[in-house]
Amino acid sequence: MIQIYRALLIQAFQQMAQYRVAMFLYALFSFIRPIIFLAAWLAVAESQGGRLGALSSSDLAAYFVITIVVTHATQAWDFFEFEWEIRQGRLSPKLLRPLHPIHYSITGNILWKLQTSLAVVPVAILIAITFDARFTTTPSHLVLGAVSTALGAALAFTFGWVFASVAFWTTRVHAVVTLYQRAAFIFSGQIAPLALLPGPLLAVAYALPFAYMLGVPSDILRGGPDIATALLMIGGQVVWLAIAIGVYRIVWSAGLRQYTAVGA
Amino acid sequence: MDRYLRLLRLFVRTELQFALEYRVNLALEIMQMVVVAGTSLAAVLILFAYTEVMNGWTLGQMVVLLGVYYIVQGVEELVMQPSFQKFMEHVRDGTLDFILLKPVSSQFMVSFRHFQTVQTLQVLLGLVITGLGLAQLAATVTLTSAGAFAFTLACGLVLIYALLLVLSTLAFWFVRVDNILAIFWAFIDAGRFPIDIYPGWLRITMSTVIPVGIAVTVPAKAIAGLVDLQTVGLIFLATAVAWMVSRAFWKRGLRAYTGASA
Amino acid sequence: MTDAVIDVRGLTKVYRVHERQEGLGAAVRSIFNRKFREVPAVTDATFRIEAGEVVGFLGPNGAGKTTTLKMLSGLLYPTSGGARVVGHVPWRRDADFLRAITLLMGNRTQLVWDIAAADSLRVLQEIYRIPEDRYRATLGELTDLLELEPLLHKPVRDLSLGERMKVEFAAGLIHSPRVAFLDEPTLGLDVSMQSRIRRFVAEHNRRAGTTVILTSHYMDDVVALCKRVIVIHHGRLLYDGQLGELAQRMAPYKVITVALRDGAASAFLDELGTVTSRDEASVTLHVPRESAPERTARIVRDLEGSLADISVEDPPIEEVIDRVFAGERMPEALAAT
Repeated sequence: MIQIYRALLIQAFQQMAQYRVAMFLYALFSFIRPIIFLAAWLAVAESQGGRLGALSSSDLAAYFVITIVVTHATQAWDFFEFEWEIRQGRLSPKLLRPLHPIHYSITGNILWKLQTSLAVVPVAILIAITFDARFTTTPSHLVLGAVSTALGAALAFTFGWVFASVAFWTTRVHAVVTLYQRAAFIFSGQIAPLALLPGPLLAVAYALPFAYMLGVPSDILRGGPDIATALLMIGGQVVWLAIAIGVYRIVWSAGLRQYTAVGA
Repeated sequence: MDRYLRLLRLFVRTELQFALEYRVNLALEIMQMVVVAGTSLAAVLILFAYTEVMNGWTLGQMVVLLGVYYIVQGVEELVMQPSFQKFMEHVRDGTLDFILLKPVSSQFMVSFRHFQTVQTLQVLLGLVITGLGLAQLAATVTLTSAGAFAFTLACGLVLIYALLLVLSTLAFWFVRVDNILAIFWAFIDAGRFPIDIYPGWLRITMSTVIPVGIAVTVPAKAIAGLVDLQTVGLIFLATAVAWMVSRAFWKRGLRAYTGASA
Repeated sequence: MTDAVIDVRGLTKVYRVHERQEGLGAAVRSIFNRKFREVPAVTDATFRIEAGEVVGFLGPNGAGKTTTLKMLSGLLYPTSGGARVVGHVPWRRDADFLRAITLLMGNRTQLVWDIAAADSLRVLQEIYRIPEDRYRATLGELTDLLELEPLLHKPVRDLSLGERMKVEFAAGLIHSPRVAFLDEPTLGLDVSMQSRIRRFVAEHNRRAGTTVILTSHYMDDVVALCKRVIVIHHGRLLYDGQLGELAQRMAPYKVITVALRDGAASAFLDELGTVTSRDEASVTLHVPRESAPERTARIVRDLEGSLADISVEDPPIEEVIDRVFAGERMPEALAAT
């Protein structure tokens, strides 16, 4: 398996080399939105004397700076690519190969993130300095945060494939994905640190998977929760990842049956 | 002039027919717009759960601003984005020649040929949200403030148009300009909040390089009666300059394309 | 002044091409200090075309055909020289000039992909300000000639390549231009569609008197449509005249085909000319143009009874063109033009 991944990585690297400029530009999207909401929350905090509950302005800055990196690390975009592949008839040849198409996607995903992190990390540092971010991260936060980010990325990626599989049934994946993304917008921790979501919303956020993709790893990396809480959150991520993989398997095999039955 | 209006009507009509052929798509697009706008509104409400005033902006004013943001984005996606996108395809495929050979203004043909008619609904949605905000403000819209709103909004749209025209014109020299436009799309998102909440460098980018800040913030202030005559005059001046510069640049690009300036 | 529809004098186009160097350092340097190379595309072209003529531009890829066409249609400024098309300087692109011409390109479409051609035609009516009655008359005529009826109301993307080309012609000619520039109009079409398009162009030219300038890779297009051809090679005009005379001017030989009876000896034919093919029953040979009558007479005399048939022809036009472009042209042939 390792050799296969090595070969796939090299292939993906060569393909991406042609789109280098576009690739870095699309990384822009991971840091524009965190900056926007950071600025908004700082304005709110200022009107309240520089604090919002347990969070100071510097804590807010730290949270959103971290979300720049985590947003980038947990991005998944297969739902758009997959529909395009089906429409262009590019999926069938891929299915004939002895390797599940998800592996191409995993390597492409990892490689894109590695390369564009060259642009994203310096921007995150610049923003951290501009907004005077203060991190309370301990080494154990860092370790748990890294694990949590990896789990978050896996979760987002798996859900990405669940929604990609929708393309087996309909050509209107875009509409479905918009609903998914807007739910993430509210509940994942994009627009506010989870702690700032008003009561009922916070409960919903913890019940849904979105917070485990972005808000949870970001909080841990910032050094927000204590270790016990962090471990509990990671437990939540594991549960959601198991559910996601289960759902993905069911949806994928059902979708594949549908696809081959239609004979596209 | 009359003729250009008739042409515009024809362009819109044909594209509208096309949009109406795909009813399910249309319904889904509308659903998406409502969901996107609704969640954005929810984000503003969450912010205002913690404060009455944000950097001098009340909830009502902020909702007005969000409404204006969707109006601006709607107009931009209604005609500018589809037309300029098509223009770059024309340059790449060599079909721009057909447009240059038509006995009407090439700039007109390039800028207003294609419409995503469904985006009209985004403009309407923006108007509705603006109305909601005004109701919350209990603001009385006077003739003056409505006029200032319409005028500054028009100026803002022309500013954005001028920027997009300049960026698209670059296609005459460089083939891959789509990438430059991608930066614009990434930054336009920032228009959903007043420009004055952003720190120095970002505010300057938003108000000058990517004038979406001006295009959204100023009209939103204007309808709430918060803009003075001087600002309006300044915006008008900036718009006039941007318009002339972009037009000159377009002509220069066209001359390079036809080999007149070599 | 002149009453020619197209009058071209000394038209020259030199492209300035940016020289790209390998390596990053060179790329950065080139931003400040660009090196240009001058590439002549068309050199000193002079010709006149009268109203109603159908003229073929011949030449291999990169010969300067399209550059010439683009200058005459006003899309490209020349480096020097002048041209008048329907009394206008093309590259000023006056509205009156643009209303009088059309440009059709075989591999490119001016129709909007997702909407029906009828809608695109309506837009063109407005753009060219065609009065309603004239619009209907022209469209009716084009619909008849091209059999457009079933095609006009389908989205363009649903049309086949050939169907799309027919609609493309309708779009290009709806404003009844006086001059039509056709750049490879039959590119990629199947044989029967090619001949349909040819018949249409000929018929339209006959009825409307449109002056047609045509470039094509398919010699059949040119043979079928153009009495007159202009041959361009390396940006220079090599020949301008009747298609029929092209072979006489450009090919210094004739082709004699001899059919033989009973496997008669034919070895002596090698002395009379260059034998290009030979089998049991027939021999084909090239002989110098001026000695063709005398050698034909000798063949008839010497072969006597074993001669079944004999023909003397100009070489096929493709072959002549190929030879010209391959640089095998005889110098005196050029001097004659």
